[in-house]
Amino acid sequence: MLLSSLVLLFILAPLAGMFIHTGGAQFLETVKDKEVHQSVWLTLWVSFAATLFFAAGAIPLAWLLARKKFPMKNVVQGIIDLPVVLPHTAAGIALLGFISRDGFLGKAASSVGLNLVNHPSGIALAMAFVSVPFLINAAKDGFAAVPERLEKAALNLGASQSKVFFTISLPLAWRSITTGFVMMFARGMSEFGAVVIVAYHPMIAPVLIYERFSSYGLNYARPASVFFILVALLFFIALRLISSKRKVKHINIDAETD
Amino acid sequence: MLKLTDINRRLGDFALKDINLEVSDGQYYVLLGRSGAGKTQLLELIAGLEHPDKGTIILDNEDITTRRIQDRKVGIVFQDYAVFPHMTVFGNIAYPLKARKEDRKSIVEKVENAASAMNIKHILERNTEKLSGGELQRVALARTLITSPRLLLLDEPLSSLDASLKDDMKRLLRNLNKAGQTIIHVTHDYNDAISLAKRVGVIHNGRIIQEGSVDEVFKNPSNRFVARYAGIRNFFRVDISLEKGILSGVTRNNVRFKLENKNTGSECLLIIKSDSIILSKEMPEDKELNIIKGKISEIIPSEFGVEITLDAGDLFYVNLHTSVFEKLKFVEEEEVWMSFPSGSIVALNGTS
Repeated sequence: MLLSSLVLLFILAPLAGMFIHTGGAQFLETVKDKEVHQSVWLTLWVSFAATLFFAAGAIPLAWLLARKKFPMKNVVQGIIDLPVVLPHTAAGIALLGFISRDGFLGKAASSVGLNLVNHPSGIALAMAFVSVPFLINAAKDGFAAVPERLEKAALNLGASQSKVFFTISLPLAWRSITTGFVMMFARGMSEFGAVVIVAYHPMIAPVLIYERFSSYGLNYARPASVFFILVALLFFIALRLISSKRKVKHINIDAETD
Repeated sequence: MLKLTDINRRLGDFALKDINLEVSDGQYYVLLGRSGAGKTQLLELIAGLEHPDKGTIILDNEDITTRRIQDRKVGIVFQDYAVFPHMTVFGNIAYPLKARKEDRKSIVEKVENAASAMNIKHILERNTEKLSGGELQRVALARTLITSPRLLLLDEPLSSLDASLKDDMKRLLRNLNKAGQTIIHVTHDYNDAISLAKRVGVIHNGRIIQEGSVDEVFKNPSNRFVARYAGIRNFFRVDISLEKGILSGVTRNNVRFKLENKNTGSECLLIIKSDSIILSKEMPEDKELNIIKGKISEIIPSEFGVEITLDAGDLFYVNLHTSVFEKLKFVEEEEVWMSFPSGSIVALNGTS
């Protein structure tokens, strides 16, 4: 009991300390700082876009992992978990090689006039690289929890495999997928190591905080951190509320029109 | 017509072995077996949820052994119903029609018709979470029947229903079959088999060990397992009549039973457990009992003693423990009295 409280205290104390040490005037000034909200906004939308974009491939992959047997499945699962255990700066270096003009993806992008390095799309890739395992694994658990019998029943009723996926598997795994989505989004926007290597500019919030800390010190970095945490929290709560509402709505829509 | 030829399928320690089976159109085929005998596995092979290691499945002269589930037109109603929890009753029943992209108007019409036939029209807009087992089953059945399956597979459809619902469901299934629906019904309960089946197959340890009409299988069990499993060779189709306040059932061969149960129709099936029949050389005096005179036509050894076949117009089978048999010393061709209380007769609405 005591030990558990200590752990909780360990998590809360630094955060509380940071909030307490941030003066109101200082904080207001930071809130008005254009550079700060631009970077917070950039962080949020790039992470959100990365999550959305990668979900399109991650969710079907999660379904495959939950339902199908295939050769080297363990290896595939290992590859998916790899970004979680890599040092993120190392991941950033690997990714930079891949997206710079000499890299495979970089070449392809620059042929259509897009430079991925120091560009929001590069940031999105770095964020996704380290955070997509969270979405895949959560969605996989969600799909695995859907009784296979329901999918077979739907097939037996004449629905195609893709119809079954969209009308049975996906709606029933929706809660886990949403959780995975939020986790990927959260993990993506808090990413520093991989992003700072592929894109110092435009500056996402964690890079901005680091820059302020290394150039001007703790007192200057603190209000920006507080602001970023508050915005992130608001965003999470909103996303949670929307997704739980969507769940309810989803049932009704499905029943009446789908 | 469905034809299974030499179906073999291994699943872990268990295997279906050399299954040969023919089910003609309009048939009501009951596959009888204990749990773990392979009944459900066999249904899943026919529906295409699993594939056999060996053998062929032919439906209406087409080889469907490797055909995809969704292309077989074989409807299956699972034991746990597999009703989609995130849709209303309407959504569930409409599901196959939506998958076929039928237009809204025809979907509504067909769903309403199917729901009326199953007596669930009043719950169409409800979510499925709070439905009773009986309601869920009707939803699942309506949802499957709306696809007009060439073959309807039912996995233990009566096992979790209480008595009155069971009778309703039996009537419904019988009517479906009368309307031409070919049905394969798997069950562990011989009562279901006797009251519904036109043909019965007994499955044990992954093999079909006997097959035939209800009479063939239960009156002439091919081996001890079937006999013991069935355990109920004394069953009789009777006409019910009420004379002088006494309800009685009479077989075609004029054997008369006194009955207790007043809830039977004009015809029914009577089952008398062979161990509730008492044999005696003198006529018993208790007038409350059913007392029937018969001639011993055969005495054969059985597991715990002997099995005596009595001819009283219809054949009765009575098991006697060795000690009883040695005391009473019955011989073949001897005339004896059978007696049993009315309460030991089970009456099934078998032919309504």
